[in-house]
Amino acid sequence: MSSRRGRITDEEMNELISKLQLLLPESRRRNVGRASAGKLLKETCSYIKSLHREVDDLSDRLSQLMATMDDNSPQADIIRSLLRS
Amino acid sequence: MHVTKEFKKKTFLKQFLLGLHVSNSISNPISIQQRKNSIKLSADLAMAFARGRTHWTHALITKLGQKEENKSTLKGILGRRYEILMARYSCPLLYQKVQRRKKSVRSYRFSYNAQKRRSSALKGSCVRVSPSVVARNLENRRTKVLKRLVPGGELLNGSALLSEALDYVISLKAQVDMMKSLWRATQVSSSSNVELVPSAPLQKKDASCTIANSEE
Repeated sequence: MSSRRGRITDEEMNELISKLQLLLPESRRRNVGRASAGKLLKETCSYIKSLHREVDDLSDRLSQLMATMDDNSPQADIIRSLLRS
Repeated sequence: MHVTKEFKKKTFLKQFLLGLHVSNSISNPISIQQRKNSIKLSADLAMAFARGRTHWTHALITKLGQKEENKSTLKGILGRRYEILMARYSCPLLYQKVQRRKKSVRSYRFSYNAQKRRSSALKGSCVRVSPSVVARNLENRRTKVLKRLVPGGELLNGSALLSEALDYVISLKAQVDMMKSLWRATQVSSSSNVELVPSAPLQKKDASCTIANSEE
């Protein structure tokens, strides 16, 4: 990697990389020592994309739920009371 | 450089529920797609508020506020705060600069590739590159993808980009978990419909406690 980093030390960089590795679901399973930069970037990108897709899917489900939810149903009451508290 | 992870779950919950309520009550004949976009907007806004002030939250809120279709929902959610917040989170010039830079890079790359193809066709042989160059090109390409995915990433480089990405991933995961538990809570409540009505006050507290404490 380039030496453009300047102020940040190598240790901090390694810490960042290892934290990122711990987060990514793939590396937890394989228990790799040090993944290459390219692999790390690729997995981070694909993980972010999959999280976006999950949010999209959950928004879909919640919007369908709200469409079918009656205004006087108990669920609506719960949500209204949660908002007030 | 410290990455402080402060994702206030209760803030998220409150903000998101408010957004859901607004999405539900806004102009009744509404398409499912519009409601879904409104819910996504609420979720992203809630995530940004729950995380606090970082580079990516600033960029995210700016981006959300600039879209025309979001304005009515945002006004509904933020109320009086809308004007103040939009004044704070509007950096049109910054994003214009980035867009202009992107266009010039694209046109440069196109002409460069065309030139390469012409020169290699003339030479009658394929262009040989060393593996380190290939690796570096791959890394550059993936960094560009990451920059596009992380809000505000186009303006960052190297370690700053990585730490923002890390923070963003953590917040995204928390957002997904919160939405999942909210979804599960509504499933539970709908399956036990009968018991809810007589003991309504108790159930309300349980639901909120379950969601807020489940990930503590």
